[in-house]
Amino acid sequence: MNLSLLFAIMRVAGSPCADIGTLLLRRRRIMGKYVLEVKNLEKYYGQNKVLDKVDLSVRKGEIYGLIGANGSGKSTLMNILFGNSVIAATGGYSGDVLFEGEKVKLRSTTEAIGRGIGMIYQEFMLIPEMTVAENIKLTRENTKGILGKVLSPELCFVDRKKDNEDAAGVLEQLGFEIDNSYLVKNISVNAKQFVEIAREVNKGDLKLLLLDEPTAVLGDEDAGKLMKVLKELAEKGTSVIFCTHRLHEICQVCDHVTVLRDGQVVSDYGRDELDMRTLARDMIGYDVAAVKKEHQNREEKEILKFEDFSVYMPGEFLDGLNLQVYEGEILGLTSLSGHGKLAVGYGVMGQFPVKGEFLYGGAGVDVKNVRKTIENGLFLLPDDRKNMGLLLEHSVRDNIVFSGFYGRNLFQKKAAGIFPVRDRKEMERCVEEQMEKLEIKCESAGQKVKELSGGNQQKVCIARAVLVAPKVLFVMEPTRGVDIGAKEKILNSLVQINREQGTTVVVASSELEELKRISDRIAVFCEGKLSRILPPDATDEEFAFAFTGEEGKDGR
Amino acid sequence: MMKKVRKDELIVPATFIVFSILCFILSGISFLFLAEQVALRFIRNIILVLALIFPIMAGMGLNFAVVIGTMITQACFIIVLNFNIMGGKGAALVLLVSLAAAAGVGYVIGRLLNKVRGREMVTSIVVGFLANYIYQLIFVAGFGTVIHVFNKKLVLSTGIGVKNMVDLKTFKQVFDNLGVFSIGKAKISVLLLAMIIVCGFFVYYLMHTPLGQKIKAVGMSEEKAANIGIDTDRVRIIVIVLSTVFAALGQFVYLQNIGSLNVYTEHLDTEKFACAALLAGGASIRKAGVKNAFIGVVLLHTLFVLSPLAGRNAFANASLGEYFRSFVAYGIIAFALVVNLRLEQKGEK
Amino acid sequence: MDGKIKLPQIIITAFMLALFVLAGFLGMDIPELVSGSFTKFVMNGVLVLAMIPMINAGVGMNFGLPVGIVAGLLGMCMAIQFRMTGITGFLGAVALSVIPAVLLGLLYAKILNMVKGKEDIAAIFIGYSFIPIMNFVWTVIPFTNREMLYPVGAKGLRPKISLENYFGNVLNELMVLKLGKISVPVGLLLAYAAVCLLVYGFFKTKGGTVMLAVGENEKFCQLSGIRIDRVRTMAIVLSTVIGAAGICVYAQTYGFVELYNAPLSHSFPAVSAILIGGCIGRRAKISHAVLGTYLYQTIYLLSAPIANAILIPQMSEIVRMIITNGIILYAFLKQERRRRQ
Repeated sequence: MNLSLLFAIMRVAGSPCADIGTLLLRRRRIMGKYVLEVKNLEKYYGQNKVLDKVDLSVRKGEIYGLIGANGSGKSTLMNILFGNSVIAATGGYSGDVLFEGEKVKLRSTTEAIGRGIGMIYQEFMLIPEMTVAENIKLTRENTKGILGKVLSPELCFVDRKKDNEDAAGVLEQLGFEIDNSYLVKNISVNAKQFVEIAREVNKGDLKLLLLDEPTAVLGDEDAGKLMKVLKELAEKGTSVIFCTHRLHEICQVCDHVTVLRDGQVVSDYGRDELDMRTLARDMIGYDVAAVKKEHQNREEKEILKFEDFSVYMPGEFLDGLNLQVYEGEILGLTSLSGHGKLAVGYGVMGQFPVKGEFLYGGAGVDVKNVRKTIENGLFLLPDDRKNMGLLLEHSVRDNIVFSGFYGRNLFQKKAAGIFPVRDRKEMERCVEEQMEKLEIKCESAGQKVKELSGGNQQKVCIARAVLVAPKVLFVMEPTRGVDIGAKEKILNSLVQINREQGTTVVVASSELEELKRISDRIAVFCEGKLSRILPPDATDEEFAFAFTGEEGKDGR
Repeated sequence: MMKKVRKDELIVPATFIVFSILCFILSGISFLFLAEQVALRFIRNIILVLALIFPIMAGMGLNFAVVIGTMITQACFIIVLNFNIMGGKGAALVLLVSLAAAAGVGYVIGRLLNKVRGREMVTSIVVGFLANYIYQLIFVAGFGTVIHVFNKKLVLSTGIGVKNMVDLKTFKQVFDNLGVFSIGKAKISVLLLAMIIVCGFFVYYLMHTPLGQKIKAVGMSEEKAANIGIDTDRVRIIVIVLSTVFAALGQFVYLQNIGSLNVYTEHLDTEKFACAALLAGGASIRKAGVKNAFIGVVLLHTLFVLSPLAGRNAFANASLGEYFRSFVAYGIIAFALVVNLRLEQKGEK
Repeated sequence: MDGKIKLPQIIITAFMLALFVLAGFLGMDIPELVSGSFTKFVMNGVLVLAMIPMINAGVGMNFGLPVGIVAGLLGMCMAIQFRMTGITGFLGAVALSVIPAVLLGLLYAKILNMVKGKEDIAAIFIGYSFIPIMNFVWTVIPFTNREMLYPVGAKGLRPKISLENYFGNVLNELMVLKLGKISVPVGLLLAYAAVCLLVYGFFKTKGGTVMLAVGENEKFCQLSGIRIDRVRTMAIVLSTVIGAAGICVYAQTYGFVELYNAPLSHSFPAVSAILIGGCIGRRAKISHAVLGTYLYQTIYLLSAPIANAILIPQMSEIVRMIITNGIILYAFLKQERRRRQ
């Protein structure tokens, strides 16, 4: 890693980003009318409003930065602009998208590509079993022969030689060397990124290029190359929308930056006003809340230990975690979405392939044997309540006792001294107690869980965990999709479990403010790696930089 | 890595060869007789097996609905005969109408399979069964009641329903007159042979066109293909249309070669045997090529010809050989399904 | 509630009633048809119940029903070999088929657990490829009771073994009640009710409720420490055992044990019957099986004489199979639509 360069970037970050002068001037000249205008864009996923009155305008030849934390609506916006079928399938959007001054409603990616829009995805859209050249030229193959010409260009013979030459030409233009004939599945991750970029650049009529976190997998040198390519593209008149969480890259290349938060445009900066600190603060966006929980000084007795622990969870990769969890603490885990906070718990519970060691009370744990793990006193409440956390068709009562009864054989008594049967009385008592304690609002314990509100559903989940009485409890996004009243109750109950039962609680959440209130320590992840462990009263700035990983690179 | 894939591809054909040699020794028949039998069956079956390649390429698995293509051709033969159109004109008409009808029906099946993504195979089986009974309904009950009979020779004495056996000699002669090619006692029309070669070449050619590239891309990852800008629904429909048309053509060649038609049973299980043949040639439910089809048809039919004879010779019981043969046909499909789905699951994790 | 009767059921019921009316017009013996509908119903009813555990555990439709049927055939053949007769013979046959059913069920489960998510297609071909293996077995198995073997020449068991001297119709003739012209086979119905009750009771036990939960949400159960594969295996074995008992009931009504390729013909009708009863995939209730079997079998029963009357005897079989496959196709499309929502 080029530390001195980054250090320099950090230093200029305090003041507005300076520019390389001439290049900017030259670019200003060709920038003119708007290529893309977005007006009053709104989008719902079910009841959730994910985009709220978003306005954007991108000029020809402009590099437009788009930053925002998880769930800020970045990806949804990109999907709308690229005509992804997900959007139409979930009810479309309202508001206008104007492309080259003309109002458009893109229904498919094919249509978007036809209009000269290209997109580079965070997870690669490359066909692994095809060669580099085939991928670059896919859907735009050179052809030869006369047979097909009579019928349709789709039925001509592919001219592989010419395709290979073309592909080699583009890659050379990008300054990236790789053999064209390799299958994509055998090349490195950053090579894939360049192949993907090459595919887009090779499109002759590219007017607007969308990039979703393209540099996430690139090293600094390669990221630098990419920045250069983007600038060249912009010079030729292609507009670029660039989503990233790496603030220094934004400052380096963007002419204009918009910050999104919770589906709304929070702020908008021109090139001269760019400042990393402001951007970071806008992106994370909090009003500092008082720390309500008094933090105890506990002796640091290790209960869990991760040694070089990697989890291969799609979309949420965790890379070589080294971390100790102390007995009786509440540990917060946070990161931008997809940067690894959720992978920790799911890895422990054997939901995805893992590598490395995970120790519980000093002994290695076989994470594949979930039942054993749970019997040993670990438990997890998942973030996806509907698909993993609840039996929607079952009653509140069934849900609350399920894990205890079936997973750990609680609530059993011996009938006639031999046969284990369910102890209905004890079950009923426990359910009543939990419903009262957590204030679960429902008609009766027999009501189906799917009829409850999100907050009450989450309370049912927590009640379930309480009855299992684990030694260590992992909780994923406990307050997502939960109304404010229930949030307090849920957070309190987590603290209560910790205090009264002595349960060690590991909470993974994107709500930093809430973590600050309940946690003893907060581990921040970035790009799958543990970025820093901070005390809950650390400054906002420290958190902001830990989120984006900038601080770590600074070397301080 | 590459080597290992090769080995997987070879293991099934190798097993077939070993069993075939074993059966050949047990059966005690001459090589010429075997060659003649296999050649005949090869001609009759190969295009149907080629028809399965496109859907596999597009990631839709084994298309058991090819049986519908074969039924369409049979229906066309009966209908053309009903209008008393004989000879070359009739044969040409059958070919034309059946290919056009197969394209139309293929489009409908394609649309249907697009609605049941992830369960194409089981749906194609059920659709095939359903079509079979509708076909039977038409020819058992429709002929002579709803459909007017012009050719009295076709129907049963009651006047309702087509006979079990229909003679197609009038068409067969046209092809035989244009030149025959013989292996032992087996006679094969040169024209039919030419059709097969063209079909094989067409599949190979198609895989090297931009459309072929799209089909492959859809087969490897539908989601990615869609994001690159390929209309996956369209590609999947094209694939099923091609598959159904090939099946119809395949059955045309088959019936021309035989010269007669078992109206109610000729098409039964053909799709499963075609699938078994392709898999015997080293294909999987994710990957198949022209080569697999040609090798597979030869291997499967060699075993099919030999195993009852071997059973009779060795155990004095021909039915044991037949059981072995159907076990091989169904077993290889079950085996391919389990192995492939298991690999896929591992790949996902 | 979920148990609501929906449009497909209304259409099928209306169709059945129309057939009754048509049969009346054609001058058929309605009371006899009604009596026949009871025996037909129970005859196939237990086979349809064999769908329930697998569907409820999320393993999908039991297209591999031939596996269970073969176990039942083995049990019955053993009973014949030991010359067990009457009601004890029947119960003996069921008891003897449990062991092969459990063993085959375990094997079947092992394969199905490898192909999660595509059990349907795999089960179909497991059934198909299992039959030739069994054909081989039927040919070489060393049973010695002459009544089971080919009369002359060929080796092995005969394809259709008469149960006349053993336990044919023992349940049918148990406590037959005459209501006017209609005869009600009370013993048969009671036996069926008992099996239904057993299955119902099972889903009230701890093991049964876990099965339902696994069918509803596999991930949830896994995170609660439940061993999914075990529960699925249990469901598959249970389905296989019920299937084995089912073919015993079928055979005693039919009067013959059918070997060789016959087991294949039962799976699609059984799947289709439970779908007609209102089940569409994830959750199957006893009521679905009962209603579905009655509707399905009665339509089949009525259509045969009607087809004969209009001089196209094959019609009833063809129409039945069109309904069978049509319903299954409809269910696939419907499930897909549900999944997307």
